[in-house]
Amino acid sequence: MKTLSLRNLGKTYFDPYAGAHVTAVHDVSLDVEPGEFISVVGPSGCGKTTILNMIAGFIPYSKGDILLDGKPVHGPGPERGVVFQSFALFPWKTVLDNVGFGPKMRGVPKAERDRIAREYLALAGLSHAAHRYPNELSGGMQQRVGVVRALANNPDVLLMDEPFASVDAQTRMTLQEELTRIWQERKPTVIFITHDVPEAVFLANRVVVLSKGRVLDEIAVDLPRPRVWDDLVKDDRFKQLSARVLQMVRAA
Amino acid sequence: MQVTGSLKGRSSRLMRSVNSLAGAAMFVAPLLALVAIWAIVVPLFNVNPRVFPSVGAVGAAALDSIRDGTLFTHVGASLLRVGLGTLIGIATAVPLGIAMGVSPTVAAFLTPLFRFFSVLAGIAWIPIATLWFGYGFGAIVFVIFNAVFFVVAYNTLLGVRTIPHTLRNAAASLGAGRWALLTEVLLPGALPNIVTGIRTGLGFAWRGLIAAEMIATNVGLGYMLFVARDFYRTEVIVFGMIVIGVLWLLIDRLLLVPLERATIERWGMVRRA
Repeated sequence: MKTLSLRNLGKTYFDPYAGAHVTAVHDVSLDVEPGEFISVVGPSGCGKTTILNMIAGFIPYSKGDILLDGKPVHGPGPERGVVFQSFALFPWKTVLDNVGFGPKMRGVPKAERDRIAREYLALAGLSHAAHRYPNELSGGMQQRVGVVRALANNPDVLLMDEPFASVDAQTRMTLQEELTRIWQERKPTVIFITHDVPEAVFLANRVVVLSKGRVLDEIAVDLPRPRVWDDLVKDDRFKQLSARVLQMVRAA
Repeated sequence: MQVTGSLKGRSSRLMRSVNSLAGAAMFVAPLLALVAIWAIVVPLFNVNPRVFPSVGAVGAAALDSIRDGTLFTHVGASLLRVGLGTLIGIATAVPLGIAMGVSPTVAAFLTPLFRFFSVLAGIAWIPIATLWFGYGFGAIVFVIFNAVFFVVAYNTLLGVRTIPHTLRNAAASLGAGRWALLTEVLLPGALPNIVTGIRTGLGFAWRGLIAAEMIATNVGLGYMLFVARDFYRTEVIVFGMIVIGVLWLLIDRLLLVPLERATIERWGMVRRA
């Protein structure tokens, strides 16, 4: 496990429609400890997805540094796993082969990567779906596959870009509970992007609030685990924290 | 999210084979009706066999050509040319189409050329192909290749462009290099479009084949038709036309349509018109 550091990170790009340079991210510094679960919240256009895409290496950054264990990162790489809002499963591969894709890229032999994939599918309660194709699954199941596909590759950091935004409300709560359970079992380092304040607080150890390309504030979430919605909806501490973050986001 | 056939039980498989039998009957019925009209009209108006043959004469011509083996010689020659030209076409068009799909610069540079040459694709090349390759095999294979190449390359380009960019990002963030990106994402992602392109291209190629064989060879279905004309053998001409049509329907229905359906349905992809 390695520490991820963002140092004075900035992104400016040319917007052909506006005909001008636009700064999406001004100056963001953030240290993420190994095994930490960080939620990044903020209103639309605050730069949260841009930051995630820069860490993932999908877009280059304009200034500052992204350091993983002290070394700068450029371009995508398997040490930074990504869970996409649109799931991004390979439609021509079975669930098993989707989850085994990362190990396959590392040259893991077929039998061994099937074993790894099955282990992670079991973790998400998906063993029965191993030989199905993504289009045969519900949205919630597809995103479970998306999460374990990233985890099965053993990344140093798991980057999640509003992963539960496109599933229905009930499924979303189940997925959030499953994610906290899996996180407790495996302790991956997670950066979770969302605009949903209760979701951010429910999942994280620390919530980072962004505004206009800058870090507005950080709030430690000291709620006990395991976290389940039935308990937390009645929990005063959860309500206080959520209200505080919500206030900040609305003022942002 | 749609559930595909593989999940359903045996009863639906039975239903489907009943349905496909019914579908085949629906497909054959109009053709049989046409033959029936032909069988009535030709004797009724006492049509001159030099203008149009009777059903019986065509049947006899069919039996003759099967008995002496000439039918198989012609069909074999035609299928070999189509098969080889198509294979060369696919083998060259898919890599080019992928290069165009990946690189906007390559695509921008080649698009005008593609517009120009896709108009010319196929039979317009017959005269110059015979100068390059001589009369016969090479010239005809070239014409087939030419008819397949542009359609398949263009459809491959479309296929690569319709792959969501997040899939490429997903592969890269899971550790895929350039080669894995090609074999694991771009090729399978473009395959439904490639198959559609092959189906369209083969349709052009089949027409081009008959035209080329009338001009540039001494064996094949096109040649069989063309020679029969010199001897006013309308029954051989009509039989040849039936063979050409039936062969294409068989290739299309038994090979290309199932292939297209398999790739598109299996991957849950919607065909983009």
